[in-house]
Amino acid sequence: MKRSPFAAGTAAAVLAAAWMHAVPASAETGVTDDTIKIGALGVLTGPNAKFGDTIYNGVEAVYKEANATGGIHGRMIEYVREDDRCQASEAVGAVKKLIHQHEVFMIHGGACSNASLAAKPEIVAADVPWVITASTASSLTDPVHPRIFTTMLAGWMESYAQVQYAIDLGMERIAIVAQHDNWGRSRYDPLIEAFKLHGIEPVADEEIAPDPTDGTPQALRLQAAQADAVILILFPKAAAVILRDAYKIGYKPFLIGGSTVGDVGVFANNVGIPGAADKLHAVSTIGYTADDPAMAEWKAKVEAAFPNDTFNIYHMFGIASGQFVVEALKRAGRDLTRESVSQAMNDLSVETDPYAGPITCTPTDHQCHNNAAWFGLVDGVTKRVGVTAVTR
Amino acid sequence: MLRLFSRRNVMAAGVVFFALLPFFANPYVLFIGNLALMYILLSVGLNMLLGYAGQLAFAHAALFGVGAYTTGLLKLELGLHYGLALVAGVGLATVTGLAVALPALRLRGLYLALATVAFAQATLWVFTHWNSVTYGGAGFRVPPLDFEPFTSRPDIGVYVLTFVIVLVSVPLGWNMLRSRVGRAWVAIRESEVAAESLGIDITRYKSIAYVVSAMYAGAAGGLFAGMLGIVTPESFDLFQVIVHFCMVIVGGLGSLWGGVLGAVGLVGLQEVLRAFRHLQEIAFGGLILFTVLVIPGGAVSLLKRYVPGWKEPLRRTEHDE
Repeated sequence: MKRSPFAAGTAAAVLAAAWMHAVPASAETGVTDDTIKIGALGVLTGPNAKFGDTIYNGVEAVYKEANATGGIHGRMIEYVREDDRCQASEAVGAVKKLIHQHEVFMIHGGACSNASLAAKPEIVAADVPWVITASTASSLTDPVHPRIFTTMLAGWMESYAQVQYAIDLGMERIAIVAQHDNWGRSRYDPLIEAFKLHGIEPVADEEIAPDPTDGTPQALRLQAAQADAVILILFPKAAAVILRDAYKIGYKPFLIGGSTVGDVGVFANNVGIPGAADKLHAVSTIGYTADDPAMAEWKAKVEAAFPNDTFNIYHMFGIASGQFVVEALKRAGRDLTRESVSQAMNDLSVETDPYAGPITCTPTDHQCHNNAAWFGLVDGVTKRVGVTAVTR
Repeated sequence: MLRLFSRRNVMAAGVVFFALLPFFANPYVLFIGNLALMYILLSVGLNMLLGYAGQLAFAHAALFGVGAYTTGLLKLELGLHYGLALVAGVGLATVTGLAVALPALRLRGLYLALATVAFAQATLWVFTHWNSVTYGGAGFRVPPLDFEPFTSRPDIGVYVLTFVIVLVSVPLGWNMLRSRVGRAWVAIRESEVAAESLGIDITRYKSIAYVVSAMYAGAAGGLFAGMLGIVTPESFDLFQVIVHFCMVIVGGLGSLWGGVLGAVGLVGLQEVLRAFRHLQEIAFGGLILFTVLVIPGGAVSLLKRYVPGWKEPLRRTEHDE
C-alpha cells in the first residue's frame, strides 16, 4: 500500500497534538498539575547546621500549613533542601543540583552570605526566582535583579538602625565599641557611614577583641568621653565584658546593642550582674521573642512538625519568609510561571506573623524587609520597645 | 576477568568517560566532574610530597589558595586573559612553595608539620585581612571567563581546560616518579641518612618535591577560581588540608594512581552522600578510620594485591614501551 504524504502529515499532526495535550497544564520547570517544587540552599551540616535547618523548618512549617489547607491553587509544595555547608565552593554545586538535577521551580533559602554570593550567578543564568531567607550581603539584591528578593535585614541596616535609634532617643554624645574582625568590619564600616550621613562624629571609638578578658580601659575611656549612648558592635562575650567593667567603675550609659545580643533577657543572665543590662536596647530582625504569646500558635505548629526542635528566632525568620512566598504564589495564580511569580513579588506587601512590620517589595527595591525591632528589659522581662524603619 | 580491571584499562576508561562527559552531562554533573579533575591535580601533587618524598607538610591548601587568589585577582584587577592569569597563579604558587621549602628543609616530622600548619594559618590570615588586595573575608568575584570561539559556555571551557591539564600533568608526574627524581624521593622518605650515603642530594630533591607539589596545587587553585567564579578565604582553610590528606590516604599514600582514585572516589562519595546530610560526615570519618585501620595502603593496595597490572614500579618496564 502506497502511503500518502498527506496522511502521514496528518498522522504526525495528530500525534503532535496528542503529545501536546499530554503535557501537564503548566509546562513550567518544577511545576506539575498538582505540585510546585521549591529548592532550599543553605547550611545543613557542619558547625552551623542547626542555624540552617531551623530556618528551613520554619519555612516548611508554613508550606505544610498551606498544603494542609488545599495547597496553592490545588498544588502541593515540595520543599527540597541542598547543603552549601556555609561555603562558597559547596554552594555552587548545591545550587547547580537544585536547578539542573531537582529541576526546581524557584529557590527559597540562603543563609551564609559568601555561599549565597557564589550561588547568585548560577541562579541568574538559569533565570530562577530566588527568595533569600537569611543572607545579609546587600549586593545580593542591590542592584535590583528581577528574580531576586530578600526577606532578611541587610548587614548595613543593623548599623544604620543603631545610629538612627540613638538619634531618635535624643542622644547627643554617641560612642562606639566594636570588634574589628571580619564580622565586626562588615558592621563597623556602615556604622561610620551612617554617622557621616547624619553629620555627627562619635565622641569615642573603642576597639576590643572578640574574646576579651578585660574591658576596663575601654570603659574608662568611654566614661572620660562622657558618652551618653554607646553603640555595641560586639559578640555576646565581648559585650558582656564591656557591660561588666563599665558597671564596675560606676559608668552606666545607654547601650545600643546589635542582634548578637537581641535576646536581651538571655544576655542579661549571661552578664550575671543584676541591673547591668537594664539600660541596654538591642536590635533584632524579628518583632517578637520566641516565647511571646503572639508566636504561641507557630511555636506549637513547628514543634509538632519537628519534634526535635525547640522554637527559636531562626524558625521565625523562616516563617516570615515562607508566608511571603506563599502569598506570592497565590497572587501568581493557577497559570504559574517563573515570570508570573516574580511579577507578583515585584509589587507585594505581606504582613507576616514574626516581623515587626510588613515585608514589602517594590520594582525598585527588592530588599523587602527593613523594619528593625528593638528589645529591652521591662520589669525584668524582654519586651519590644520600638521599631526603626531603616533607609539608607 | 580481573585483567579487565587492570590499571591501564581503568585509566583508559576514565579518560574516555571524562572526555565524553560534556556531551551528555547536565551542568551539575559537569561541575562535579570538573571538581574531581581538579582534585586529581591536588591529590597527585600532594602525594608526591607526602607519599613519595615523605614530607609531612600541611601547606598544600595555602598554595592552592595562592594559585586561586593570584589567578582571580589578575583577571579582576588587570583584566588579564584567564590563561595568562592561570600561568601566573601557577608561577606564584611555585615560588611560594620554594619559599616554604627553604626553612622546611631543616625540619622533619612533627616540627615540619607545625611549621607548615603555621604557614597555612598565616596565609589564611592574609587572605582574610589584607582587605585592600584580597577583598577580605567576603572575597571577590572572578569576571566571567570567555572561551570563544571554542565554546560559548564558560563551564565547558573550564572543564576542557582542566581535563587537558590533568591529561598532561598526571602522565608527566608518573614519568617523574619513575625517573631518578622519584627514586631519590623514595630513598629520602625511607631514610635520609641512607639516601645521603648513596650520594643523593637531599636539599635538592626535597626542594624539587616542594616546588613540583606547589605547581600542581597552584594549577588546581587557578582552575578552582575559574570554575567557581568566586574566591573566598574559607575555601582554603584547614578543612581543605584534611580533604586533601583524605584523598591521598584513602586512595593510597605513595601511589600516584591511588591518589587519582582517591580524588575521584571521595568527590563522588561526597556527592552521593549529599542527600543523607549528617550521615555524610559520619561516612566520611568512618571511611578514613576504616582505611587507616584495615587497609593502611589505601584502596590501591587492594587493587595491587588482587588485580593484575596495578603494580607501580619506580622504573620503566617493558610494559611501558
